Formats: sequence, structure tokens, C-alpha cells
Amino acid sequence: MRTETGFDHSLYDRFPTSDPRPEGELEELERIWCAPKGWQLLTAVNNNYIGIFYVGAAFLFFLLAGILALVMRVQLALPLQGILPQETYNQFFTMHGTVMMFLFAVPMVEAIGVLLLPQMLAARDLPFPRLSAYAFWAYFVGGLCFFASLFFGLAPDGGWFMYPPYTSLTYSPGINADFWLLGIGFIEISAIAGAIEIIVGVLRTRAPGMTLDKMPVYAWAMLVLGVMIIIAFPSVILGTLLLELERAFNWPFFDPTRGGDALLWQHLFWFFGHPEVYIIFLPASGLVSMMVAAMARTPLVGHNLIVLAFLATGFISFGVWAHHMFTTGLPNLSIGFFSAASMAVSVPAGIQIFSWIATFAVGRPRFNAPTLFLLGGMVTFVVGGLTGVMVAMVPFDWQAHDSYFIVAHLHYVLLGGMVFPMFAAFYYWTPMTSRHPLSERLGKWAFWLMFAGMQVTFWPMHLTGLMGMPRRVYTYLPGREWEVTNMISSVGAFMLAAGVLLFLIDVARSFRFTTDHDAGNIYDGGTLEWLPTGLYSARSIPVVKSREPLWEDPGLAEDVKAGRYLLPGSATGLRETIVTSPLLAEPQYLQIIPGPSVWPFLAAIFTAGFFILLTIQAYTPSFTCGVLAVVCVLRWLWDTDRRVKEVTVDAGAGVRLPTYVTGPSTHGWWAMIILLIVVGMIFVMALFSFFYLFGVQSQFWQAPAPAGHLAIILPAYLAAAGLALLSRRMLAREKTEHWTPGVLYLCAAAALAAGVGADMWSWIGSGLVPEASGQGATVYALLSLEVLLVGVGVLMACYLCARNSRGMIVRPRNNSLDLCVLWVVYAAAQGSMTGVLTRLVGA
Amino acid sequence: MLTAGCEASPGKSQHMAQADAVRGKLAIERAGCGACHDIPGIRWPKGQAGPSLQGFGDQGMIAGRLPNRPDLLAAYVRNAPATLPGTTMPRMPLTPAEARDIAAYLYAASARR
Amino acid sequence: MSGDSLIPVLTPAGPYAGSITMLAWLLIAMATAVLAIVIAALWIAFAGSDRLKSRLGGSRTIWIGGIGVPVVILTVLLVYGLSLTRNLTAPVPAETMRVRITGEMWWWRVAYLDETGEAFMIDANELHIPAGRPVLLELESNDVIHSFWVPQLSGKLDMVPGRRNTMPIQADAPGVFSGQCAEYCGGPHALMGFVVIAHEPADFDRMMTERRASRTPVLGTGAELFQRTGCAACHRIAGTKANGTAGPDLTHVGTRRSLGAGILPNNRGTLMGWIGDSQAIKPGNRMPPYKMLSAAELEAIASYLEAQR
Repeated sequence: MRTETGFDHSLYDRFPTSDPRPEGELEELERIWCAPKGWQLLTAVNNNYIGIFYVGAAFLFFLLAGILALVMRVQLALPLQGILPQETYNQFFTMHGTVMMFLFAVPMVEAIGVLLLPQMLAARDLPFPRLSAYAFWAYFVGGLCFFASLFFGLAPDGGWFMYPPYTSLTYSPGINADFWLLGIGFIEISAIAGAIEIIVGVLRTRAPGMTLDKMPVYAWAMLVLGVMIIIAFPSVILGTLLLELERAFNWPFFDPTRGGDALLWQHLFWFFGHPEVYIIFLPASGLVSMMVAAMARTPLVGHNLIVLAFLATGFISFGVWAHHMFTTGLPNLSIGFFSAASMAVSVPAGIQIFSWIATFAVGRPRFNAPTLFLLGGMVTFVVGGLTGVMVAMVPFDWQAHDSYFIVAHLHYVLLGGMVFPMFAAFYYWTPMTSRHPLSERLGKWAFWLMFAGMQVTFWPMHLTGLMGMPRRVYTYLPGREWEVTNMISSVGAFMLAAGVLLFLIDVARSFRFTTDHDAGNIYDGGTLEWLPTGLYSARSIPVVKSREPLWEDPGLAEDVKAGRYLLPGSATGLRETIVTSPLLAEPQYLQIIPGPSVWPFLAAIFTAGFFILLTIQAYTPSFTCGVLAVVCVLRWLWDTDRRVKEVTVDAGAGVRLPTYVTGPSTHGWWAMIILLIVVGMIFVMALFSFFYLFGVQSQFWQAPAPAGHLAIILPAYLAAAGLALLSRRMLAREKTEHWTPGVLYLCAAAALAAGVGADMWSWIGSGLVPEASGQGATVYALLSLEVLLVGVGVLMACYLCARNSRGMIVRPRNNSLDLCVLWVVYAAAQGSMTGVLTRLVGA
Repeated sequence: MLTAGCEASPGKSQHMAQADAVRGKLAIERAGCGACHDIPGIRWPKGQAGPSLQGFGDQGMIAGRLPNRPDLLAAYVRNAPATLPGTTMPRMPLTPAEARDIAAYLYAASARR
Repeated sequence: MSGDSLIPVLTPAGPYAGSITMLAWLLIAMATAVLAIVIAALWIAFAGSDRLKSRLGGSRTIWIGGIGVPVVILTVLLVYGLSLTRNLTAPVPAETMRVRITGEMWWWRVAYLDETGEAFMIDANELHIPAGRPVLLELESNDVIHSFWVPQLSGKLDMVPGRRNTMPIQADAPGVFSGQCAEYCGGPHALMGFVVIAHEPADFDRMMTERRASRTPVLGTGAELFQRTGCAACHRIAGTKANGTAGPDLTHVGTRRSLGAGILPNNRGTLMGWIGDSQAIKPGNRMPPYKMLSAAELEAIASYLEAQR
């Protein structure tokens, strides 16, 4: 297409400009983007800081979970060792898996994205910096508290996937399982927040001219990651919610004696759990693609095939979840489908492997530390992928499942597909953010120790599994000869640890964080993160004409630094970046980006406090923290959605951009839509639970469906949606009274409350009790979700009225009002569907 | 079996003629003594219904009441209630030769340490 | 337990496991070949001649190596795998012997079923089968999810509370085969073993007839103590007043090869040690210690149990 938004592409020809830049423009930019120091660092929101904190925190959890593994390996080196008593070992392996998957792997791939993406897209920051700050601090504080549960013997012990009934109250009466459930809660929040940032960032803040087809392949991987997170995470969010409801209030989702089913958890968990591993792998493989091209000094061979591979992997990965359940007695038809899909999902991975091989073959690759980690990762990942194909074959899985063969497989794909690429990325991209690069010599030693250690640890486990050793055992009896392979694995674990230690030494000696005196583009990469940068990212935002701009235009770095492109200074005296269109990256408007703020930090502390105190059943302090968290969030939101003096500004060479836009093309609207997709997916999974339990335990569907009350419920919801939309319409009208929109919205929220209240009252009146049956549990769970939505709607109404009273809801259109209206309309729709669908199947 | 070959000769006071520590270990395994006792050289089981027998050779008394001598130990192992009324260790289905072998093993195993 | 094969998955003892082993070897061969090809391709990419490198360096490599060859291999494997799955789950003849095995924390309840589905003989932790004939297992659970796995005889199948999963097993020849619970069930999951003993069909039939015959209960001090000290509250011995079902059925405990769910040999010492303090051997199991028993009482109970054959 010629133009996506009406932007005239001939304007690009004005760049690079040749006039000298005004005096003091750069200094002013630097002043505006000045980094906080000392304690103020806690208020930093810029992606350079949050990114490095995030990477550091994720790596810390990697080390902590790794230490747990070392102790486990010492225990298993010989039979019947009593180094860890049974209960402690069971907590150790649970925490090892949980911390690695939830506190290291997903956060690390998001963290690298936070650090790298804006630079790679030549954006000054992510679109919602305070959201990243909030997500990070909640994750960090919450994660540390969660890990600390080990020191009190309160760590969960049900395995990282926590199957009921073992994790139900009957068999896990302590609060250990609650630690897992509520602890995972804030990690889920961080992941969703990160996904919103990444999707909006990749689609709306690319440098002008960076069409989708010129976008770096890593940005594609992150886009798919973001979409996968918003579709997959809701399943585990709902699952954890249901298990907590079962444990706290005895609602029988997973108790077969009252209409629940243990396998419901497995479906919910693995619908998340399988995409989760691709959520971990895809960004890492995106990084690999970038590094392979840079190391081979040639553009990636098969770029389009790789993008297709990402999309195919993302899509197919949602159709394979039950391959974790092949031994549970599923019908042959389902088994066949999941087996086929599980084999199909290996094809896109194969595409990537061969693309990398072809790129190395075409280019002139160098054997440096990053390349070694890349190669080691590739070979390891291929082994893991092959054993994956093996276990996709159902009869073989019937032997290999839940044995050490699977432990071998999962570590091969995770270490090969994510950990080694991560180390490669550390070696390759450190010069972008540190004064000195890491040491090549130490890097090579670290690699060989890690690679050899990895093989020595996990290769024998294939054999151990075939020898009959199940996983998750705190010891084993002598006489089966399992000690030979176990001892070898334990020795390997220490080799692997030595390699990691060497890496840590390297970091301590060489890594010195900086935002503007970095070591530079020592590997001669071709993409935009290698432009000379300050905290503000590049001095001016270039017009992009190819996939490797620095290779195609050797003078680009100099031109960008001299300010010869867009936005060479600050147009409004505030922090800014350019929002561009999703397909062709045409500049659309100037986004004012927030600077350092204490509110996201405080909100995160109180959020973490809410969850942790709830877990230890300190209810009053917990609810106090919850209230304070909400207050901090509202205070933070209060600063958003402000207009500046200038209505349009000169973004460079006479290109004028508006500073305030409303409607479906704003980044805020996109964020709300994505959030609503998350909420919608949670609803879909709750509906699935309802229909699933009806399907397998229909004898527990006793209460008649009170359909008549829909005559009250549906109109209430319709009124809510109508009033909300009306408030928006009234704001646009000239003659409306100043307080009308706020009041209309308040009425809309009240109508929502009436709708869910009527629905609740209707079911209570019908005699349905949540503890007594699967029907009761799922119906009231659906109602509880709606109550949550309505609660947020009411909060939004109060917020809007407050803003309205200060004259901040300015006509004709206002972003805050628009986003809140979206929420109410959605909540009305979900409420209506809840009302209708729960009454669809009854006694 | 492997460890039996490494056993040092027992101390003089605990020397037992015609008693074979190697056969004694086999007898311990057959009779299941490990189910109640932690016995050196027996990896599984390591029970705690009875006292640990690690370093047994250094103990002055059997069950705190009998002098720790080869002849008394063999008798005790085979029929503890008759040798020491009131003990909680039950009679074991062992021949006198097996009982002596077991005693020899217990002394030898603790002498190695 | 001694006498096991070193690598059970690769040394099957029956047709069900045997067909899986064949598949396993095929898969191992395939995986080795593919890994070799990938490593060779990487080698060429870095150190090969210019001619080879240029042949490798195009999108054709991706189409053939990444799409074409994998699709062919995967399709062949998938067809094989699905047809094998169907064979392994094919219904067995109606007259096949059925045994219901119920997973408990941390042992196995074994009930041999007659033609009407009633249990005519109850045992625990061990299964006797006739060699050369299939046996249909009905797998259930009374508490959490367990998984039944005897690798030399078949793949594993989960025992999910609220469901009944069925699986046929068959041993080609007489022998002893061990297994272990393969779904984490908390506590001493690591010590939840199982033993399958296959007999010559004639021996098996004779054994079953003997066991089904009505028995005269053994009397004496042991029997009285069994009632008095509370053993009967959890354990059952057919033909006596002991009718507890919380713990394993002890009607035939004297004939078992193992105790504690496949983890101890069965002899006088281990019987007494288990009764005296099973927590020291299998921490967390549901049987309390009985350290208060005198030497004579312990000996009496143990010899009573040895007589339950």
C-alpha cells in the first residue's frame, strides 16, 4: 500500500537534514532525560534501568534455583542419602521448577525485551514505562518473598505443576500450596503487563519507515511472545484462582466426589504450560537469529521463513497441551490429534535450525564467545527437539513420561533453546549497555565448562529414565544400578555450575552499567540498537530503509548522533517518542513519556504485600496493603492523560505531529483492548471449566436454571453498556453540562452492579450452593469474575468523577473516559454471557 | 560383598575362631536385621526400631547390661529374651553358627573404622 | 529388588512392552541419524569447502532440511505411532482375567475379580499373573493421582481419583518384574514399589485354587495380639475377625516377596522391623510405629503373619 494513515512518504526525503542543530538542543535533551541517582533509582522507569534491574533479578533467580538443583544432585548422587529429609527435598524440586519457569525463564525473556526492544526499534522508551516499573518491582519483591518460604519450611511441595488432589486442602493442609498459588499471582501480573508493553511497543513505536517487513526478526519473535502470553497466561490465572477457591472455600472444582475432576486442572494448567515453553523458546530463538546474522556478517537466510516459523509455532503450540496427559487415560481420538500436532510443532523449529545453518554457510562466521554459545545451544536444542519427537509418539511416551528421560528432554530444550542463547546474548549485547565488553577468554572457558557440564549432567538421564527411575523421587534404593548414571549427572552439575561461576566472575570484573558511554558496536551488528545512545536512546530517530540499517548506510550512526533525523531534541520540554502505524510505521503522533515516579514502586510493594500477607492469612494487613496498592495506582494514573500546551509540534524538518490524540489508534486504547482480551480469555477458560465439568460429571448438575430472571439481568447490562457509550457521546456534544459524562458513567457502573447482583440473587434463590457440586462451584466462580469486573468498573467511575470534578475530562474526546467506557461495555457483555450460558445447561 | 574383601582383621579381644564375617553379612541380609538396626556395611534397610550398631565393637556393653563378648553376643543375637530377660529384641531364626558369624561381622565392621 | 534387568524399557518381557521397545529403537536410530546430519551440516557451514558451503547457503537448505525431510519422517512415524497406540489399547477377549489395582498413599490395593466383577481375592503390592496370557488391569485411586508402571511389561497408566483406567499387560514367560509409582504423590512417593510375578499357567491356576479355598484360621498368641494391639483396625485377614481396610490386606502376606510396597525383602527380621518402626524405613507412611511391643509379642505377631499364606 502507498500509505496507511495518509502520511506523505515523500516527507522522508527531507532526512537526513543538513542544517546545523540549534545551540543547547542536545544539552536540553540530556537534562530532560537525566537519570535518577542514589535512592532515586527506585523511582526510575526508563527501560535502560528497568531492563537491567529485570535482567539482574531474573539472573539472580536462575542462580538461586540452580543452587537448589545442585543440592538435589548431591542427594541423588548415591542411593539413600539423607542430606535433605524427604519433605525438604520435595519442596526443593518444586521450588527449582517453579522458580526456574516462573521467576527466571519468562521474566528473563521479557527483561531482555525491555532492555533491547526500544533500542532496536529506535524508540526512546517502551510505551508504558511506569507499568514496566510496577511489573518489575512486584515481581522482584514478590519473588524474593516467595523464595524465602523455603527458609521457613513453607515452600510448596506439589511439583511445579501442583496437581490436585494432592494440592487440595485434604492432602496439603498447610499454607505451602497457597504460597505457590498466590505467589504465582503477581508473577502473572508482571507477565501480562510485559506482554501489553511488548505488543504495543513492537506494533506502535517503531522508527518511521520500519515497515513490518523491515522489522528485526527479534521484534517478530517478541510480538508472537506477547500474543502468546495474553492467550496462554489467563488459563493458569484462572486455574490458580479455582484451586485457591477450592482450598479457601471448599468449592469442589477438582474433587470428583462432588462433581469436580482432577483432570480439569491438568487441562487448564497445560493449556498454559505448553505455550509457556514456547514463550520461553521463541524470544530466545529470535535473539539467536539476530546474533547468527551478526556473527556471520550477512543478512539472515530465510528471513520470511523464520517469521512464518514463529507464527506457526505460536499457533500450533496452543494445540498440543494434552501431550502432557498421554498417560491419564484420554480417548484415542484426542491422543491421536495431540500426537500429530506435537510432531507438527517441531517443523517450524527445524526451519529455524536450517536457516541458521544456511546463514553461517553463506557468511564469514567468527569463533568468538557469542558464536560458541550459539552453536552449543543449537546442538543441545536439536537433541532436545529430537527426544521431543520421540515422546510425541504416544506408546514411547507411555514408557518415558514422568521418568528421568523426560527430565533429560526438558533440560535439553530449555538449556539449548533458552539458556545458551541467553549467555550468547549477554556476550553479544553487553557492549551496548556496559563501559567494557565481557572477556572473550573467560567467555570461552565458561562456555566449554557449561556445555560439557550440561552434556555430562543430562545425557545420562536419558538412560536413567529407560532404566526405570521415575522423576521427583527424593532417593532411590540400591541394587538397580541407578547410582552410576546418577553420580555422573551429579558430577556434570558441578561442571555446569563452575561455568556459570566463571561467567559471574567475568561480569564482576568487566560489566559496568552505563547509558551513554557504552563499549560500542564491537561485533559490527547491523541493527538500530547499535546506534550511539544515551538514556534517551538514539539522539534522533532515524527513517529506516532496510532490515540492517547500519550495514546499508554506514553514515547512519553519525547522522543520528548529529541530530539529522526526527526528534533531535525535545519538542515540548518533556520526554517524548513517536508513535507510528502498525504496518508501515508512519508517524502518527508524539507520545509524552513519563519520567521517574515513586508511585509504581509503591504500588508494587503494596501489591506484593497484599498477596504475601493473604497467603500467611494475615487478613487485615493484607487488605490494608490492597487498598494502599489501589490508592497508589490511582495516584499514578492521575498523572496520565494530560494535555500539553502545544497542540502539534515539529518533529523534525517540518514534519508536524499532534501531541494528543484519542480513539482506537491511541496506544492506551490498544493496551485496554489487549487487557480485555486477557480478561476475556480468563472468562473463556472459566466457561470451559463449566462445560467440561458438566460433560464429565453431569450427574452433579441438579439445580434448575432460573431462566426467567434474565429479564432483569440482561436489561441491566444493556443499560450499563448504553449509559457508558452515552457518556462518551455526551462528552462530544457542545451543549452538555460539565458533570454529565461522569454521572452517566457512574450510573453505568451502578447498572453493572445491578446486573451481577440480580444474577447472584437469582442463583442463590434457586438453592445452588458452591460447596456442594461442580455446578455450584463453576457458576459462582463465573459470577465472582463478573463481580471483580464490576468492582473495577465502580472504581473507574469514582476515578472519572474525581477527574471530572477537576475539569480534566476535556471535550470532545478524552482518553481516560474512552478506556473506562471500553471496560464497562466489555463487563456488560461478559455479564450477559455469564447469565445466558450458565442457564443453558441445567437439571 | 565388595566391602567384605577389604575388612581388616578383628581386634584381639573380639577374635572369634571359626566364625566368618563374610558369612555373617549374608546371614544379616537373610534375617533382615537391618530392618531394626543401622548396621555398618548394610545399605538398606537402616531401621531405627533398635539401636544403631555403628561402632558396636567399641561398646562395652550389649543393650547396656551384658558385657560385650563374642560368646554373649552370639547368644544374644540368636535369642535375646533368653540371654537378657526384659529386652525388647525378639528371638531370631538363626543357627548358632550363623549367630557367631553375625557377631564376627559386627566386630569386624566396626574395627574397620 | 534383585534380579531385575538393567534397562527395563529396552528389555521387554511381554508383547505390549515389546512393541514399544521396537518403536523405541526406531526412534533412537532416527534421532541419532538426524543429529548426525545437523552436526555435519554445521561442520560444513563453518569448515567445509566453498563449493559445499555455497550449496548449503540458500533457502533450499531450509526447504529440504527444515520442512521436506522432517515432514516425511514425521508422517511415517505418526502413522506407525498411532497404529501402535490403537493396537495397545485394543480390547482384550471377554474371558481375560481382570485385576483391580487401587493406588493409595503409598501402597497398592490388589483385587482379583471374578466373571461378575466381584473381588474373590484381595492382596496388596504384588500381582500374580499367568505367563503367556493377557491380564486386564483396572486402575483407580482412593486419594491422589498415582501411576502404575512396570516397564518390562507395559507403558504406564495413571490412577486418577474418580476414574477407572484400564490397561492390558502380559508376560511371555515366568519371571519377577518390578515397578514403581510414576506420578508424584507426595511423601515417600520414591518408596512406592510394585512386584509382578508371572507363573507357568498350570502353577498359576493351582495357586489361585489353593488361595480361593476356604481356610482354617491360625489361632494362638499371634492371632490374639493382632486383634488386641489394634492391627485389625487397619488390616484384614480373611476368615478372621480382622476386617480393617485402611491398610494392606494381610491374608496372603506370608507368600509375598516383598514388604512395604516392594521395598523390603520378606523375612522375619524385616517383618518385625517394619512393625516395630516402619517410619524409620519409609518416613511419612500411614502406619504408626509399634515400639511398645515386647520381644515375645513382636515374635508372635511376626510368626502369625508368616503363617498367612
